[in-house]
Amino acid sequence: MKLGLLIDLDTCVGCHACATACKEWNASSSVSGPLSDYQPFGAEPSGVWLNRVRHYEVGDYPASKTINFPMSCLHCADADCVSVCPTGASYKRADGIVLVDQDKCMGCNLCAWACPYGARELDEASGTMKKCTLCVDRIYDELLPPEDRQPACVLACPTHARMFGDFDDPESEVSRVTAERGGFGLLPELGYAPVNRYLPPREPKALPGVDDARALLERGLASLASPAIRR
Amino acid sequence: RPGTDGLLALAIVHVLLKRGAVDWEFLIRYTNAPWLVVQTPGVSGDGLFARDDQDNPLVWDQDAQAFANGHLPDIAPALLASVELPDGRRAKTVFSLLSERYLDERYAPESVAAECGIAAATINRIAHEIAHVAFNEAVELPIRWTDMHGRTHDKVIGRPVAMHAMRGVSAHSNGFQTCRALHLLQMLLGALEGPGNFRARAPYPRRIPMRTLPENDPKVIFAPDTPLKRMPNGNPTRPEDLVIDKDGKPLRIDRAYSWESPLAAHGLMHMVITNAANHDPYPIDTLLLFMANMAWNSSMNTGDVREMLARTAAHGEYAIPFVVVVDAFQSETVSFADLVLPDTTYLERYDAISLLDRPISEPDAAADSIRHPILKPDRDVRPWQDVLVELASRLKFPAFTREDGSRKFSDYRDFIVNYEKLPGIGFLAGWRGKEGESHLRGEPNPKQWEKYIEHQSFFSYPWPENMRYYRFANKDYLEFAEKHALFGTPPVQVILQIYSEPLQKFRLAGQGLYDGPQPPSATDRERLATYFDPLPFWYEPLESRARSHEAYPFHAITQRPMMMYHSWDSQNVWLRQIVAQNYLYMNRGTARKLGLADLDWVWVTSRHARIRCQLKTMEGCEANTVWTWNAIGRQAGTAGLGAEAPEATAGFLLNHLISELLPKHASDERRLTNSDPVTGQAAWFDLRVSIRKCPPGETGVWPTVAPAMRIPGDDGVRPAILRWTSKSPR
Amino acid sequence: MKPALSIVFFTVASGAGLGLLALLALADLCPVPLLSPAVLPRGIVLALLLVAAGLASSVLHLAKPSNAWRSFARLRTSWLSREAVLAALLFPLAFFYLLVVSFGAAGVRRAVSAIVICLLAWGLLLCTAMIYASLKPIRQWRTAWTPAAYLLLGHWSGALVLLVLAIGYGGEPRIWAWLAAALGVAALVAKLGYWRHGAADRRGKSVLTLEQAIGVPQGVRPPGVSVAQARLFDAGHTQRTFLTDEFIFRLARRHAQALRGAALVLGFVIPLIWLVAGPRHWAAALAVAVLALAGLLAERWLFFADARHTVRLYHGDART
Ligand SMILES: Nc1nc2c(c(=O)[nH]1)N[C@H]1C(S)=C(S)[C@@H](COP(=O)(O)OP(=O)(O)OC[C@H]3O[C@@H](n4cnc5c(=O)[nH]c(N)nc54)[C@H](O)[C@@H]3O)O[C@H]1N2
Ligand SMILES: Nc1nc2c(c(=O)[nH]1)N[C@H]1C(S)=C(S)[C@@H](COP(=O)(O)OP(=O)(O)OC[C@H]3O[C@@H](n4cnc5c(=O)[nH]c(N)nc54)[C@H](O)[C@@H]3O)O[C@H]1N2
Ligand code: SF4
Ligand code: SF4
Ligand code: SF4
Ligand code: SF4
Ligand code: SF4
Ligand SMILES: [Mo]
Repeated sequence: MKLGLLIDLDTCVGCHACATACKEWNASSSVSGPLSDYQPFGAEPSGVWLNRVRHYEVGDYPASKTINFPMSCLHCADADCVSVCPTGASYKRADGIVLVDQDKCMGCNLCAWACPYGARELDEASGTMKKCTLCVDRIYDELLPPEDRQPACVLACPTHARMFGDFDDPESEVSRVTAERGGFGLLPELGYAPVNRYLPPREPKALPGVDDARALLERGLASLASPAIRR
Repeated sequence: RPGTDGLLALAIVHVLLKRGAVDWEFLIRYTNAPWLVVQTPGVSGDGLFARDDQDNPLVWDQDAQAFANGHLPDIAPALLASVELPDGRRAKTVFSLLSERYLDERYAPESVAAECGIAAATINRIAHEIAHVAFNEAVELPIRWTDMHGRTHDKVIGRPVAMHAMRGVSAHSNGFQTCRALHLLQMLLGALEGPGNFRARAPYPRRIPMRTLPENDPKVIFAPDTPLKRMPNGNPTRPEDLVIDKDGKPLRIDRAYSWESPLAAHGLMHMVITNAANHDPYPIDTLLLFMANMAWNSSMNTGDVREMLARTAAHGEYAIPFVVVVDAFQSETVSFADLVLPDTTYLERYDAISLLDRPISEPDAAADSIRHPILKPDRDVRPWQDVLVELASRLKFPAFTREDGSRKFSDYRDFIVNYEKLPGIGFLAGWRGKEGESHLRGEPNPKQWEKYIEHQSFFSYPWPENMRYYRFANKDYLEFAEKHALFGTPPVQVILQIYSEPLQKFRLAGQGLYDGPQPPSATDRERLATYFDPLPFWYEPLESRARSHEAYPFHAITQRPMMMYHSWDSQNVWLRQIVAQNYLYMNRGTARKLGLADLDWVWVTSRHARIRCQLKTMEGCEANTVWTWNAIGRQAGTAGLGAEAPEATAGFLLNHLISELLPKHASDERRLTNSDPVTGQAAWFDLRVSIRKCPPGETGVWPTVAPAMRIPGDDGVRPAILRWTSKSPR
Repeated sequence: MKPALSIVFFTVASGAGLGLLALLALADLCPVPLLSPAVLPRGIVLALLLVAAGLASSVLHLAKPSNAWRSFARLRTSWLSREAVLAALLFPLAFFYLLVVSFGAAGVRRAVSAIVICLLAWGLLLCTAMIYASLKPIRQWRTAWTPAAYLLLGHWSGALVLLVLAIGYGGEPRIWAWLAAALGVAALVAKLGYWRHGAADRRGKSVLTLEQAIGVPQGVRPPGVSVAQARLFDAGHTQRTFLTDEFIFRLARRHAQALRGAALVLGFVIPLIWLVAGPRHWAAALAVAVLALAGLLAERWLFFADARHTVRLYHGDART
């Protein structure tokens, strides 16, 4: 199994709802919560997030495009963050989820250094490493209705730009959509084999040029142009 | 370019008309395009619809070659016609008038390109793409529905084009006519209320014109201990409906429904403090502010508004003697209150998001929702709704008092369940009737709240397929809607108004041709004659015209940060980790030309004031426009923020630059509100500014406001670390 | 990378200590006596003190030291785990060696323990170096120059400390001077090699770009545009975060140059000149050793400050 997230950069509007829903769920999750906030009302408000949304611009005005880019742990298949961890606190499960055992972590930061994607954040208060849990305490929870056995971020996304599933199963929706739309993984050069996939923006559907449209229109409108239309 | 959407839309209309890319059937069946308009320039009655003696609009029936009642089915009304009416007056169809106007070269892509900042070829392309999708990629659903004439149709046609105008349009002083232009565009395409179109959501569609008139009878308004007979807000349809005294002076402190802002259906919040402080139209003794941060992000001209709230008049009294603020947090406005009524937060009270107000309906379902307390208040606060019910009961308002004088409702919770606007119609539409058996209409259900809570606080009434489309002419829907008070009586087809007669009536008043009230002021007459055009048109936003573009070359606008709600969230512990300060964003190329770079401090100057803030450059911003996030800047000490909070030390408000009053024109008799002249909608986005790099060493935001005083019970101590959890912390 | 002083001090101090320990053990193994008997035990103690001080400061770096004992768990994959285990072994064995040495016992047992200690010291130096050299996100570190530099710098600084003792307790320091000089030159070569590699790498084609990081080549770009430059618009936070603190350390070019200068002059030039001039007095030796260690602190601080983690791409750096 390779459980992970599929994120659609075409429809993501960068609203941060996934990030806040993530913080909300995991703050109270026994897997990684709480997620500390520092100087909550002060000069340097900061804290632990397991999912952050960044915003980029690609290309020069006027041919430029805004790209909203949510990032959380990509649950890499070859995750150095796990192999470098001396305490065994970082581990990868059979279903592909990479987790940190909060009871074992000694807060050495080495795993964070080993993660190319900035997916791990040290909790200054607990002294332990925090990261995306893929909402392991939701997706298997038999007490939740089946449609709710999904990561908090996926359920929160107002544009349905996030999908959750098993990338090992070629039949799964995430696998199919990834194949259809050329989903890609981040920085394959580094050899971490990240599981999460990102969908590039769709190329807009080519519409007929003004002249063809004109021709087409004449036809399309013919149906309407009866001499006297009755109410 | 900001403020030019109307021009763009009308240029597209120009192209569509030239192409004949128009849904003739739709226009004839569902709009007033074939209606005849009287053409007697300079004579009263000019521009009104030609009507028969039953007051039905007249059309020219091509079958009978005679005038006919435009409401009748199966006639063949002429779209293009210029005729002589039985009474000898000339008349033209609405469609003839609109063709004449929009086929004019004024609206050709070539002539608007410069003003819109969009190449003519691009406008042309967009117009053709829209037409192509509307007519060549139309969708048909096999859904049977019946029109108001009882004719059953076996399919619905969708022309998958939809347009949504929000404040990007309405926050410009030409917003109303721009919205109408966009509406016109969709009507010409027959792209309304079909699959893939902009579709009404209950309680809409409503009758046109709406029948909800604002209370305007001084005898009623000023009679002591007498409730209004109508709502204070509504939709005037003619000068008689304005809320003015016999001399034509506004009766409302915000001057809504006056000659200056006749169709101000939302009121003019942004004018209240200025008017009250200037005792114009009259002084008031108490100003009660609820859930609005009027001393900060909710006002234009924030600096002066704060001065007005504290201003003392000649006799040493405050210009606004008594200010009551109802807020759940220590907002910037709280500091100005003589009396603070601390409200609960939404987690600590009952709320109803009702079909009688602005519900959460979807096109395919009528819906409303509630909130209910999930936390017990841990401090001395009251739900404002309960306070209102309490006041109304103690003052023995009729609606809140039984014949025997005893109170009708114990509290808000009780009020929401048991108040009936009409028999069977209350605030909440779900689970009505003794046992919660009937929806939308039914007698009060004592267990209604419980039902909502059982259903996750939502009620939704999905429309059956046959009621989902063309609701303005859908018999089954309209008859159902009437029975459930979602539509007036009797149910009639709603004819979409390409040409607006109510606007023309106000315009006639401006031209001195209206048999009825006329504005005493030349300024108002001129405005009515200009802006109350019955057909959509475009004019440059008032602020832009008021000042030369050279002096203030940039449009300056705000945008809502998706993760925050106004000043209401900018202190939220998690959200301020995302945005704790704002920047002024400028197109990178423009910045380079001006020798500006990221993080430069700049002076931003409008005709009214100036601010200093920090600049960031970007690609995705129109070259002559700068923008920033709305309401990120806060006063230190408010909403629990420390004195060093970036919201206060680095964040800023654009509002300081926006004047609530337009500069006085030679022709103006007085300074006019900085709003849409038709609706009084605040022109937040008309702002124009110049931008200059600060001299070296000149940094920091300006103006700054001293930290707010600490409210009683606040020791000023804030935690260094927060660790929220519902589990035992590790 | 953020140059955490605890780590900078740890690597320099324990590096010197381990280098010293290895040299002592080697000297002890050498058939011809190179040191007066007084030096060896004192040297071992001093070495252990340096290593202990380093380790102590590295434990300070942990956010949750109470779990430090768990760090033996991942011997198979984690260099940090290996370092922990070797460090844990070092002290008991070194004490044993100290006893053997102190009671002047000669023979196999002494030889074996000397060999063991020497290998342990080398192993530890290697582990420390590999912790960094194995991190894929930081290409500057992923080179053989990193372990080479750590090993040689450890011995170089160790040799300078040893020289203090050698002179101080009488004996024949000249060999040690030349040996130290040789190590110094080697270490200098290793460090210059590391720096050259870093500079070359930044120009090289293995460099990663912001465009690669967000998938511009895979189609994350405006329609109809094939190549496009990407820029950060907003990082999603206006104040600091753990990531900006830990990975986004910005070092002005001139400061970097100045520090390199200091590292070279203090850490290599002065000590080497002094060595060639022929060392006389133990106090001078001490002064030189201290200067050299200060130079190496600057060198180590730069080792971190100069390193560019791939996370910087996502925060707007055009290239690593
Ligand atoms: N997250 C969040 N949601 C909110 C709110 C909030 O504060 N935060 N506030 C709620 C309220 S009270 C309201 S009124 C609504 C307002 O909702 P919106 O209408 O979306 O309000 P804005 O985001 O201020 O403006 C929308 C866009 O209009 C653009 N714009 C400015 N001038 C023009 C123009 O001339 N033409 C065009 N086409 N665009 C233009 C701005 O750049 C901006 O991107 O949002 C509601 N929802
Ligand atoms: N420059 C610029 N200015 C603008 C706009 C713009 O686009 N640009 N948009 C304008 C628009 S459309 C709007 S609607 C206004 C919105 O502006 P406001 O209506 O002022 O919105 P907020 O500041 O979010 O909320 C008002 C007050 O409600 C308080 N509050 C929060 N929860 C509760 C509660 O449960 N009970 C009570 N009693 N109070 C509560 C908050 O503390 C705050 O003081 O801003 C306007 N101002
Ligand atoms: S994204 Fe980072 S933390 Fe997550 S598995 Fe990959 S390397 Fe580890
Ligand atoms: S910080 Fe915790 S999880 Fe990460 S490597 Fe160190 S011990 Fe392992
Ligand atoms: S899967 Fe869960 S933990 Fe991971 S980002 Fe989404 S919400 Fe956060
Ligand atoms: S919630 Fe969805 S749309 Fe919003 S930022 Fe996250 S992924 Fe993008
Ligand atoms: S966007 Fe957020 S605040 Fe607005 S309605 Fe949806 S959930 Fe509520
Ligand atoms: Mo609003």
